[in-house]
Amino acid sequence: MASETVEIGVGSPPAPATSARRPARLSLGRRRPVVALTAGGSLRGALAPVGLVTLIVLALPLLATHSATAVTAAGPFHTPSWSYPFGTDDVGRDVFSRVLFGMRESWLSALGVIAVGATFGAVVGALAGAFGGWLDMVLMRVTDLFLALPAPVIAIAVVASVGPSLFHTLLALSVVWWPWYARIVRGEVRAHAARPHADAARLAGVGRARLVLRHLLPGALAPVVVTMSLDVGNLILALAALSFIGLGAPPPSPELGAMSAQGMEYLLAYWWVPIAPAAAAALLALVANLLGDRANRHLDQERTR
Amino acid sequence: MTVEAAGVSTVATTPALAVRGLHVTFPSPRGDVHALRGATLDVQPGEIMGLVGESGSGKSVLGLAALGLLPKPEQLRMSGSVTLDGEDMLSATEQQRRARRGSYITAIFQDPMASLNPSMRIGAQLAEAAPEADQEQIVALLADTGIPEPRAKVGCYPHELSGGLRQRVMIAIALARNPRLVVADEPTTALDVTIQARVLELLARCTAEHGSSLLLITHDLGVAAQLCDRISVAYAGRIVEVGPTARVLSRPRHPYTVGLLASRPRLHGRVAHGKLPVLPGQPPDPRSPAGGCAFAPRCPVADDACARPTPVSLIDGRRCECHHAGACAAWPENGSSQTHADALLRAVQGDIASAQHNAARPPAQTVPVLALEVRELVCEFAAPRRRIRGRPGAPLRAVGGVSLAVPAGGSLAIVGESGSGKTTLLRMIVGLQRPTSGRVLLGAGAGAQLIFQDAGASLTPWMSIGAQIEERLARLALGRAERATRVLEALHAVGLPSEAAGALPRSLSGGMRQRAAIARAIAVPPTLLACDEPVSALDVSLASQVLNLLCELRAKLGLALLFVTHDLAAARAVADEVVVMSGGLVVERGPAERLFAAPQHPYTQELLAAVPDIARAA
Repeated sequence: MASETVEIGVGSPPAPATSARRPARLSLGRRRPVVALTAGGSLRGALAPVGLVTLIVLALPLLATHSATAVTAAGPFHTPSWSYPFGTDDVGRDVFSRVLFGMRESWLSALGVIAVGATFGAVVGALAGAFGGWLDMVLMRVTDLFLALPAPVIAIAVVASVGPSLFHTLLALSVVWWPWYARIVRGEVRAHAARPHADAARLAGVGRARLVLRHLLPGALAPVVVTMSLDVGNLILALAALSFIGLGAPPPSPELGAMSAQGMEYLLAYWWVPIAPAAAAALLALVANLLGDRANRHLDQERTR
Repeated sequence: MTVEAAGVSTVATTPALAVRGLHVTFPSPRGDVHALRGATLDVQPGEIMGLVGESGSGKSVLGLAALGLLPKPEQLRMSGSVTLDGEDMLSATEQQRRARRGSYITAIFQDPMASLNPSMRIGAQLAEAAPEADQEQIVALLADTGIPEPRAKVGCYPHELSGGLRQRVMIAIALARNPRLVVADEPTTALDVTIQARVLELLARCTAEHGSSLLLITHDLGVAAQLCDRISVAYAGRIVEVGPTARVLSRPRHPYTVGLLASRPRLHGRVAHGKLPVLPGQPPDPRSPAGGCAFAPRCPVADDACARPTPVSLIDGRRCECHHAGACAAWPENGSSQTHADALLRAVQGDIASAQHNAARPPAQTVPVLALEVRELVCEFAAPRRRIRGRPGAPLRAVGGVSLAVPAGGSLAIVGESGSGKTTLLRMIVGLQRPTSGRVLLGAGAGAQLIFQDAGASLTPWMSIGAQIEERLARLALGRAERATRVLEALHAVGLPSEAAGALPRSLSGGMRQRAAIARAIAVPPTLLACDEPVSALDVSLASQVLNLLCELRAKLGLALLFVTHDLAAARAVADEVVVMSGGLVVERGPAERLFAAPQHPYTQELLAAVPDIARAA
């Protein structure tokens, strides 16, 4: 559909651009779009548990009995006991403490990739949805291109060219993670652009930037938040997998995937070395998925109420 | 509080359906919704009973209760009885209820596309409804409903038929097993007025031929008046009045019926010009039902007695639940109409002041020019290609060369059925659709604004009403405090409270949303206020309020009104001049009074004849 209105009228005065450019600050019912959505408690209600879990995960290392990298007095392959709940590994480091640090790192890494992916994707999607035409075509074909790239291959390529580090792995994941968000945001923006409230805004003579930012983009917030919350679990597993095949921070940093991989050879003799970090990764993914489901249901209820 | 059940029926025969003191409550986290609060109703064998009510009156819930289609007992609370042929549908098991449906009681719903199975051929669906019938009988059933070429239509899928034909198929399915009772819930609301007239006629004829009773649930008193032997009126979960159609319409006993009849725009008699009698206020919230008469807050004859549970009066075959049955003979002309004059005048003065401040335009009332001139406007849509590399077909001509003019401060109604091009024309006039050829000239002033049919969808869901109104003031170079005042003035002008400024659209009721949309459109009074079916989604009592409001605003602010509608009576209530459109062309135009009194074009005559009218029945 034509996204600009036809200029008609014999005597309608042109808008004084100076006063129209600055979006009016509101003195009545003053609410920014994000706040307006939370006003009903919908977003806050959906995200509060995620925030709570994040706080808990951040505080996990406080429970650590030892340093994540230091060798303990117990020596290697100490069986689980009260002072070493998950035993010690081949070098004699406390597995329990390493797992706690690893959980924090996994969780924060997942949130970081999602934040970067969602932000970049939202910008691309909003541009494509708002302008349409050739820009939409170009941006969406680029999006398709990135969707076609396999994450492990990109990660291997990045690590091979710039060296192994957690940051490089996250970078590689972010590169393949944003296209989903671009698609969602573009779809929502275009759907809202066809609704009467967008027509009403055009009739008010609002500029295109304001139309997109105030009248179209906030509509994408709820679906994006739902996707984000469901993505946390996926990313924790994806990160663990990449780290398992050696594409993460180099040892001795406590990464769940890498710890599991290094402990594999002791699986039969000293099972706690590989199983404890693997179980921790599974637990995190499970918690993340439950939170995502909850957020999804919550926002769905709010919308269909 | 429950109604005395005994002795309500005045006819000796066993009724086809007997509803006694039916309470239905849906538990909800924000307070229980009392959908029905002691409804009592009989449908006699072979009669057509109209059940009239506004949304939220519980009329559809009553229909579903009769069909035994309400949600599982765990999800709601019920008491009372719904007796079908001597058996209670409320206490029956699901198996017993299923046995009754289809053979004893059947249903026709509003949206035939939703109630027909899209993946089954028409014939197969009919065969499902009438398992014993052979192919010939199925064709005969279809032929009975006046479907052309019934033999060919048996092999059609629902999407291949028009809305009117689909509803005929639904009627054929509903009557396939000669049920004793058919429940029709808004069967013609989705149809155009000329098709509605034919489907209603068919419905009456078929139920008579099959010896079935019909419970016709509708919001439109006119539809009920045209068809029904008796009419019942639902309000806030109770049946407040039941009686023979002619007597209910000519001498209503319940004040709500009186108000409902009075507030309907009419096709005959004096032109209202913004002075339609209105039912003040809003229907009650079903979450917090009144202890006594639910209508008392809106009733002109209410007094202290109305706080007590309503008595039931039975006089010559009529049942009425009112403390003052028959006391309200005529609805007060303007006694309880809401006045916005003060707030409105302040808003107008503010506008004139700001206009002088900008020195841009003189007050619109004094300009002796046109608010809108449309010259030979054409809109064509590219036809879809049949094949990928094929040539595009001839373009679809939605509007084929329309010229019209609206004087400053005047009002013009465009009437027509769906597909007549009236909405496309309106979108071109306000600038949302690019015309293929022709010109749109708007008079001096603030341009054109549009009121949408679906007010809820036309308000940005995540912005407060105040913010959306304030957005319109951005060009007026006002200070923050001035803008805030203007927002409140616009809200008061449409009769909304100041608190509405901070509300999100979803927290307002349907009527309030339409008012908010109007407030937004007139915040900077436009030269032309275009309205696309502004009241068709509203209940009768709210529609007359909004029609009056539009007329008042036109008079006070000097706006020109362009009113697009399929509702001829609403057009007559607001317009000086009427244009009738069909197939993208203007077929007739003239002053409202002349055009409705003496239509010249056959299409206009057909439209007018199809409008269900109360005067004929009463």
